Amino acid sequence: MGEVILTMKDIDKSFPGVHALDHVNFEVRKGEVHALMGENGAGKSTLMKVLTGIYTKDSGSIEYEGREIEFKGAREAQDAGVVIVHQELNMLGHLTVAQNIFIGREFKKGIKIDDKKMNEEAAKLFERLHIDIDPTATMSDLTVGKQQMCEIAKAISHDAKVIIFDEPSAALTEAEIEELFKIIRDLREQQLGIVYISHRMDEIKVITDRVTVMRDGGYVGTLITADCTKDDIINMMVGRVIYEDPKTQSMVAKDAPVVLKVEHLNAGRMVQDVSFELRKGEILGFSGLMGAGRTETARAIFGADPKQSGDIYINGEKVEINSPQDAVKNGIGYLSEDRKRFGIVVQKTVAENSTMATMENFMKGLFINKRKERAAAQDYVDQLATKTPSVEQLVVNLSGGNQQKVVIAKWLVRDCDILIFDEPTRGIDVGAKNEIYKLMNRLASEGKSIIMISSEMTEILRMSDRIVVMCEGKKTGEIDISEATQENIMNMATREIG
Amino acid sequence: MEKFKQIPIVRKIGFNRIVLVVVMILMYIFFCVGTKGNFLGYERILSALNYAYFLGFLALGVTFVIATGGIDFSIGPVMFCAALVSGYCLTSFGVPIVAALIISVLVGFLFGCFNGYLVAYWNVPPFIVSMAGMNIAKGLASVFTKTQSVSWPQLAQGGWFRYLVKVGNIPVGFIIFIVFSIICAIILNQTKAGRYILSLGSNKEAVRLSGVDIKKWEMLAYIICGTLVGIAAIFFVGAYTTVQPGYGDQYNNEAIAGCVMGGTSMAGGLASIGGTVIGVLIIALLQEGILALGFTKDYQLIITGIIVVVAVYADVVARRRKN
Repeated sequence: MGEVILTMKDIDKSFPGVHALDHVNFEVRKGEVHALMGENGAGKSTLMKVLTGIYTKDSGSIEYEGREIEFKGAREAQDAGVVIVHQELNMLGHLTVAQNIFIGREFKKGIKIDDKKMNEEAAKLFERLHIDIDPTATMSDLTVGKQQMCEIAKAISHDAKVIIFDEPSAALTEAEIEELFKIIRDLREQQLGIVYISHRMDEIKVITDRVTVMRDGGYVGTLITADCTKDDIINMMVGRVIYEDPKTQSMVAKDAPVVLKVEHLNAGRMVQDVSFELRKGEILGFSGLMGAGRTETARAIFGADPKQSGDIYINGEKVEINSPQDAVKNGIGYLSEDRKRFGIVVQKTVAENSTMATMENFMKGLFINKRKERAAAQDYVDQLATKTPSVEQLVVNLSGGNQQKVVIAKWLVRDCDILIFDEPTRGIDVGAKNEIYKLMNRLASEGKSIIMISSEMTEILRMSDRIVVMCEGKKTGEIDISEATQENIMNMATREIG
Repeated sequence: MEKFKQIPIVRKIGFNRIVLVVVMILMYIFFCVGTKGNFLGYERILSALNYAYFLGFLALGVTFVIATGGIDFSIGPVMFCAALVSGYCLTSFGVPIVAALIISVLVGFLFGCFNGYLVAYWNVPPFIVSMAGMNIAKGLASVFTKTQSVSWPQLAQGGWFRYLVKVGNIPVGFIIFIVFSIICAIILNQTKAGRYILSLGSNKEAVRLSGVDIKKWEMLAYIICGTLVGIAAIFFVGAYTTVQPGYGDQYNNEAIAGCVMGGTSMAGGLASIGGTVIGVLIIALLQEGILALGFTKDYQLIITGIIVVVAVYADVVARRRKN
């Protein structure tokens, strides 16, 4: 570790009704990877937004390269060498990879944009990062994982001195994470200061030098990673110990009836001849690499995207599902992997979002029975421990994990028998994650059936009764939890099919 | 200022609306002083209200459409089309006044169905649809009336519909407008239709994936709008009796200005009927005031144009701050 390059001291920031940052201290040295941890809503993102000038601080000081600074926006921070790689991808889908990376600072030839030079420069960047991406590819054709890599390349291309990774691994596969770590180690070698925000404890141990923990907007402490255990960090974050045990055997009764049967489902390139069964009270894990077609399968079953062929049976009866409406009528609920785009209505309140799929149960004649609506929403706010001042709060003001809980509440209010959870814990901290796991187990024991799509192997092994593995749009395996190991799942997820 | 915003009653009414009311009062004082007291009379207020009624119904209608994140530039011409077609039926085919009024509402309703269907089911951008609707409305009205202006009967000739606007000096129209505003506010805030219209304006995909028939509700917003435009036509002829084919565009901007000024977001998802009502009253007062100051109608066009830009800009800034 080298000298201190960045010091944030006594940073304080309030929003109406929320004390988001309470005199927080944070420092980054050259050539270190410094983890910033905390539950959702602990203030990590807010702190980084204060640093990069997206928010203005109420008080405190920021010292960067020996002088006090206050960036007026992400652009100014970027120019000074403080770059953030966002959790949510900020790419323009219709542009090429190279155009995205050099957006806002395109190479020019006269007044024309020099695409050739941009492609060359992008290729050089990828070479330096050992990533195999075609700079001329259209961004929207890439998988989420590849897009994330482009985001990192873009950050690095700004001659950065401090790079903030905001949950970079959330959307990446294990192999891609390895790639990422290689890149990060490389950057550390080059004496950059790296801030690493993640909820994945294993990664923190592997890649970081120091850990700073925040809780409820306050600074808890900073530890040397090598000198502390996983439990030390978790205890600082949540003040309680959490155990993570993989499931060893299926909790589903042998004679449990099949509630959902999908036969020969075809929907575009990403869903080819997929068949499977889901039993009552079962948690069926869907494993696979990014772009294996799991989300597409879920969306086709749910009627969100058109399908070409295939039959769906619910409780033994064949059903026609051509729209989400049909799916919901048949008792299926879908929790999207992208809650911002497909899950929540941000300008509506917690209560209004909770009843979105169930309006008809909250009507009194022509009018909405708001009292009943609030009561139902409050019930699930309590059950799911959603952190919100009231059910009247606009969802836009909640943190990611709490927004997720609101989306889950929407389907629980609907009392769906079949729930499709697509990456239910993506971007969610350990505490909230465990609450969601507990909830899923409870739902399954109550006789609900759950399809859980997850890219996290530990999650798959911990939650599933049975596991379906997909690879490149095809189902490549199915395995009972008692026989499942990381190795055999990975094997199926990477299997080549002729 | 922050403290003032936190006072319960202020929060209940909405800070923006209080500002608008203050603006309206200041404007009134300004016009009174500017015209050396000429503006003070009840006559002037009645005249401004005449303008506010039809504009108000247009704005109420377009509030629903803007709430879905759409836009409707056909409201003014459709209002004229409704007034012309129904008026022509009245004067040339001799249908009773009641029937003519129903025809007017029906014309608005049908245009609403047309616009709504294309937007919701065919996914044609609202901007294009309403531009087309505007041309169709203008053309249709001209063809129907053979490009003649239509004069609805005066009170003395049995034009009882004018009582809808005022009886003697009692502004009946104002009462009707307020009643309709309250109904609209209830639809928007207390019913399933309003809930879904606002929600899909904020995030259409999320609402669709909740199993909601978004096409139906989006189309409904345009139908509500069209119907209110048909009613607006009644109040237009009730106030002015004569309608000329080929006009009506300027009222689009005025109605949308009133709407946006009142706090309805052009991005969709946020709408306030109360705000629209105050916004429209300000526009109407402005129109009357400018004439009273001795300027021509053209200045009013300029000022409305500026108001639209300022109001939309304020909306953009407010949203940016929130994010």
